[in-house]
Amino acid sequence: MHSIAIIGAGPAGCYCAQALAKALPDARIDILDARPVPYGLIRYGVAPDHQGTKAVIRQFERLFERQGVQFFGDVTLGRDVTLEALREMYDAVVLATGLDQDRKLGVPGDDLPGVLGSGVVTRAWNDAPDSTPPQIGARVVVIGNGNVAVDLVRLLAKTDAECEGSDLTLTLPPVTRIDVVGRSPAEAAKFDPVMLKELGRLGAASIQVHGAEGEGKVIEALATLNGHAPEGARCAVHFHFGWVPEAIEGDTRVTAARFARGAERLSLPCDTVLTAIGFDGSRQEADVEGRIAPGLYTTGWARRGPRGTIPENRADAMQVAATIAADLGPGGKPRRDALAPLVPQAVGYAGWQRIDEAERAAAPEGRVRAKIRTRVAMLALAQRGE
Amino acid sequence: MPTQVLYGTETGNAEMLAEDIAGHIGADVANLADFDPAAFEAGTLYLIVTSTYGDGDLPASAKPFAEKMAAQQPDLSGVRFAVFGMGDSEYPETFNFGGKRIEEMMTAAGAVMVGERVTHDASGPDMADDLALPWADALMALA
Repeated sequence: MHSIAIIGAGPAGCYCAQALAKALPDARIDILDARPVPYGLIRYGVAPDHQGTKAVIRQFERLFERQGVQFFGDVTLGRDVTLEALREMYDAVVLATGLDQDRKLGVPGDDLPGVLGSGVVTRAWNDAPDSTPPQIGARVVVIGNGNVAVDLVRLLAKTDAECEGSDLTLTLPPVTRIDVVGRSPAEAAKFDPVMLKELGRLGAASIQVHGAEGEGKVIEALATLNGHAPEGARCAVHFHFGWVPEAIEGDTRVTAARFARGAERLSLPCDTVLTAIGFDGSRQEADVEGRIAPGLYTTGWARRGPRGTIPENRADAMQVAATIAADLGPGGKPRRDALAPLVPQAVGYAGWQRIDEAERAAAPEGRVRAKIRTRVAMLALAQRGE
Repeated sequence: MPTQVLYGTETGNAEMLAEDIAGHIGADVANLADFDPAAFEAGTLYLIVTSTYGDGDLPASAKPFAEKMAAQQPDLSGVRFAVFGMGDSEYPETFNFGGKRIEEMMTAAGAVMVGERVTHDASGPDMADDLALPWADALMALA
């Protein structure tokens, strides 16, 4: 019998477990995560008002509930168990650790108070354990032309009533102006048209699009948005294209963001700059099929870099799982029987279910869940009844 | 009546549901990506589960099937089918367009739809299985 350990219970790791469970029904599959709870970016990256997107969790619940996959939460690689030890215990180890560092702008002033990365902000809005609610003022510049930038705009521009059915529990600040600035021309923007169109339903935000020339679905979606002006709008959203960030200005806090487009300059007064220009972190060096070394693999963003949505990570995980299934030798390593004594504190799936139940029960009016916001409280809930 | 479950999926949600339905009624299940329209048989009831992806598009695994349907223009007279669509009401303009497209494609080829097209809303309170299994039971009772 084969045994496989996957590091990271986010979408990449869970899809990999799913594909492995299908290809190797007899294999013992364990998923480890540094957080006490599973699902990674599905829980802490997907916007809290996109519950339909988060619903892929129902697939992953089945791994733990019916397919014998075991969850080891609150286990940190290198602290609680080393990679070398895991490779001794398992026939294959998969690093699905993602990328969670916000890429820096790399211009003067990018470390001023008031400059925040999208990862920090979306984790906080998703109540990631021990995150601090970000200080966001009334005038915000969002730098980036991808779907994460759209998530930031939409959530800042939504009214409380428009967040009904979400699991957003923080009260977001009353932003009056949002400038969304992209370095590339509108034609090359990475927005999904469907995400842009969603902004056209905002009931309290007007939208102006500047300089969106060219053709294609993104241009069409931007044209539809331009001039959106619901009665009583409290927030004005402006899109700008082709502007390269030059500097973030301010003494003790951001006061403006400056951009260049050829000889032209654009200075946008603001108190907050949110960057949504991608993620960094430790990428794994692997071959084209996802092998790092014999018995050691990688999948998801840790493998490919911070590109691609949930379905792309599914396809990637399925391919890496096929590689693993083809590579496996005779098997017979000691697997979780050896891991469990090393990590007696690990949160199991039953512990996560107690956290999940408590979060649903605590949902305020109009919300589907109120996430537990500290690791300590999560661990206390997880251990209750054990 | 012989029955087969087919699915079109992008994130795996429709695949999981199709497998659940197939297990529940004891039918075979196949991915639309691997299904050739020439294999449709008159006298068989096909239960087709499909999501919607992107801007009202078919999910990735249904796209090769749609291309084959367009290229082969099969005559599906005598073929009966039912559609269970999966959508997300966060995107109301294109809600469940995937299911609608499959219905249109099958009907245009001469197949006859049994019952109403049913839709699950990913942003709604219902679990897909809670809608889909009774739907499949009702179809089996008709068949």
